[in-house]
Amino acid sequence: MIVTGSLASRGGKLVRRQLVALGAAALVARRPARAQATRTVRFGFASIGLNNRPFTGGSAAALAHAKGYVEREFADTPDVHIEWIFFKGAGPAVNEAFANAQIDLASQGDLPQLIGRASGLKTTMVLGSGSHSPTYVGVPAASDIKTIKELKGRKVALFRGTNIQLTAVKVLAANGLSEHDLQVINMDGATTSAALVANQVDAAFGTYELLNLARQGLASVIYSTKNDNPAFERHGTILARDAFIAENPDIVQRVVSALVRAAYWSSQEQNRDTLFEIWSKCGIPAAIFGDDFAGQALAYRNSPLLDPFLIAQYKRQAEDSRKYGLLRRPVDVAGWFDPRFLDVALQQTGLRDLWTSYGTDGKPLSPA
Amino acid sequence: MTRAAARVRLLRGSVLPLLLLSAWEVGSHSGQLDPRILPSVECVGQTALRELVDGNLIYHLEVSLGRDLAGFASGAALGIALGALLGISRLADRVVMPSFNAVRQIAVLAWIPLIALWFGFGDGAKVVFIALAALTPAVVNTYEGCRSTATQLLEVGTVLRFSRWQFISRLFLPAAMPSILVGVRLALIASWVASVGAEYFMTLGPGIGGLIIAGRERFQMDLVLLGMVLLGLVGFLLNQVAALLEARLLRGRPARQEP
Amino acid sequence: MSDIAVALSGATLRDRSHPVRMAGVGLLLPLAVLTLWQAASARSWLPPQILPSPADVWQNGVDLWRSGDLASHVAISLLRVVEGFAVGAVVGLVIGVGMGVSRRAEDYIRPLFVAIAQVPSLGWIPFLMLLVGIGEPLKIIIIAKAACVPIAMNTHAGIRNIPPGYQEVARALRLTRLQTLRKLHLPAAVPVVFTGIRYGLTHAWMALVAVELLASSEGLGYLLVWGRQMFWYDTVVLAMVLIGLVGFALDKSLALVERRLQRWRVADGGTLVAPL
Repeated sequence: MIVTGSLASRGGKLVRRQLVALGAAALVARRPARAQATRTVRFGFASIGLNNRPFTGGSAAALAHAKGYVEREFADTPDVHIEWIFFKGAGPAVNEAFANAQIDLASQGDLPQLIGRASGLKTTMVLGSGSHSPTYVGVPAASDIKTIKELKGRKVALFRGTNIQLTAVKVLAANGLSEHDLQVINMDGATTSAALVANQVDAAFGTYELLNLARQGLASVIYSTKNDNPAFERHGTILARDAFIAENPDIVQRVVSALVRAAYWSSQEQNRDTLFEIWSKCGIPAAIFGDDFAGQALAYRNSPLLDPFLIAQYKRQAEDSRKYGLLRRPVDVAGWFDPRFLDVALQQTGLRDLWTSYGTDGKPLSPA
Repeated sequence: MTRAAARVRLLRGSVLPLLLLSAWEVGSHSGQLDPRILPSVECVGQTALRELVDGNLIYHLEVSLGRDLAGFASGAALGIALGALLGISRLADRVVMPSFNAVRQIAVLAWIPLIALWFGFGDGAKVVFIALAALTPAVVNTYEGCRSTATQLLEVGTVLRFSRWQFISRLFLPAAMPSILVGVRLALIASWVASVGAEYFMTLGPGIGGLIIAGRERFQMDLVLLGMVLLGLVGFLLNQVAALLEARLLRGRPARQEP
Repeated sequence: MSDIAVALSGATLRDRSHPVRMAGVGLLLPLAVLTLWQAASARSWLPPQILPSPADVWQNGVDLWRSGDLASHVAISLLRVVEGFAVGAVVGLVIGVGMGVSRRAEDYIRPLFVAIAQVPSLGWIPFLMLLVGIGEPLKIIIIAKAACVPIAMNTHAGIRNIPPGYQEVARALRLTRLQTLRKLHLPAAVPVVFTGIRYGLTHAWMALVAVELLASSEGLGYLLVWGRQMFWYDTVVLAMVLIGLVGFALDKSLALVERRLQRWRVADGGTLVAPL
């Protein structure tokens, strides 16, 4: 659980402290039974359900978790155990977990992934998930703010380090503002909702949770990226630790296959209502997902493909992040995407035809 | 103190709290106080009962305390050892103490990001943080206790040709015991406060701090208030237990000059 | 409470003697650690995300200083702590003197005060956030509460623990209550009270960090959170160092004031002599 590197070369005091802490931690922390044959696959989500429910929504991976796709895949290999971990701290917390090799795969947004890569985390993208997501700006119910421009000088809640922040700076820039023009307070999803309802902040950037508040009349949504520039979309993928891939390529393949099957089911329009119902296990009503996905094909949002378009999007996100000072080092996305597992999965399941692969220019690629 | 005097004290002491409680009750029932911000007293009481019976209150308490004590034990033990080393060895004192004094200036909460980075999520990281909080008071007080061991005692040891271990076990530690116990008591308080901090700022998990945060997010102020009361109660009890142990262990000691 | 106060005063706030001589040897360990740290970062003995190099931390500090951000964060934090501490100190002194001088007042006030004090500042923040929002008043109140408790406790103890010989002197000289207070109680209590004040400032500083971590848009605690979210651990370490430095500076300034105030005292085997 602990990266051995951190024990190696610090001053003696710290080593002793860590050793004792390790001892104490060993006493207190529960460790999964590591029998000779058991292999635990730890999958992290950069989100969590309402009131900390261990469910999430809005992606094929969320469906896969809710409906046990991965468990079914491994039903014949009882020595493989899947552990699902939901991070209230979202993308940044997932990075901390990766840095300590405490998770093996994760569903994470673009900005935290880029930040992790810039810091030297060794991961590989294996599957698309949760891309093309919209972002919203909410204000307290009684607020008189109607436009982004009016946010100047106000207290705005923003979850730093998540892909919401990247979208937020772009939206602000398009309105002639920057983070410096606002009083930004770092808040996670639940805290943001509570702060909006209690009128403690003037506005907040967020996801479908804001739609949920608006529906209950507890807040108003004054802006949605859906009505604006598609360049403001938030993206995400599933990535895995390089070390884990090297040690367990078979497991990674099977997880990807299971997730592709989930992506298939969640891309078929006839499943739309059922899909939203399943996602509502996280506490967000199905109708809210309906609003979030309104006007967009399921196959567009839930596509698992790592096509040139997605890669180009990530390249652009990297450049923009650098431009807005969110990344301190330039990040090269080359070599980060590995479609091998995806290709095998598509071949095995014969599902290649459902999704359209888009080229870097945004136009569909002719089938090979 | 006479029984009557004690009774008077008790009565006087309850005046302000009772006034506060009644003002609160009146405020809630007359509609003056927004129930979302300040639920009525019986609401909090009902929540307490409910959480106790069907909620996981005991479990939360267990987890918080368990973590707290694990961190406290490791931090205090390490702190006493380190403090003794620094207090007894002049060399260690000169080399390490200035750095220690510098590093301890950093408010313990400020260590959370680094600890989260180095130890990730999970109880282990929280225990490390709590141990860190317990470390400083243990080190400082043990150090002072050992340092102020009277020179006459040390001369006696030299005359009797004590071995190094005998010096430590027969002279330094007993002489430093009052200071060490004060340090342990302070470490206990510090670790309890730190365990709340760990629950706030490190990953989600069961615990009293988690209860408070959950209450705040869901606008269940009765949960928040319940959590606060429990925090104070446990802190108070820990302090009393520590004071009792301290009194026991120091029983029969001759009155000594405070360092 | 008195035994804690006295033990605290002796045990933790003793200043070092021979500072110059100590400095030489004392610098050995930090220099060794810094060198090791820089080497470890430069040679990548550790993955780079585990620890930024000292050079990075320094550079980050310089950059933030140049942009004026650093100065503004430090200034905001300092201002908050000074304001909160001032309020807390006044309240604490008043309560402490009140409890110390009058047993009746102590009987009335102490239980509620101790109950409030038992709940740590962190416990109060969520409740107060809902009551007063997340603006400056929240910060001032929390910092004031954190400062008030040790100051009140120590002041109370200081006044209570005056050697009985003093009371006899007061009686013998037939001093009025006010005179006794001014000429005997307060001067005799000063060392313990000052210990309380120093503790109050330390606690105030810690409460500031806590409240800035939870709900702030500027300040050193805010810098810490920002760095953590963005995985900028050089900023995190920089913020930690600054928090330590400012905390140290605050404590040392008070120590200086304490020494000045006690220059007229003649300490002799534990007894005190104050000009009457």
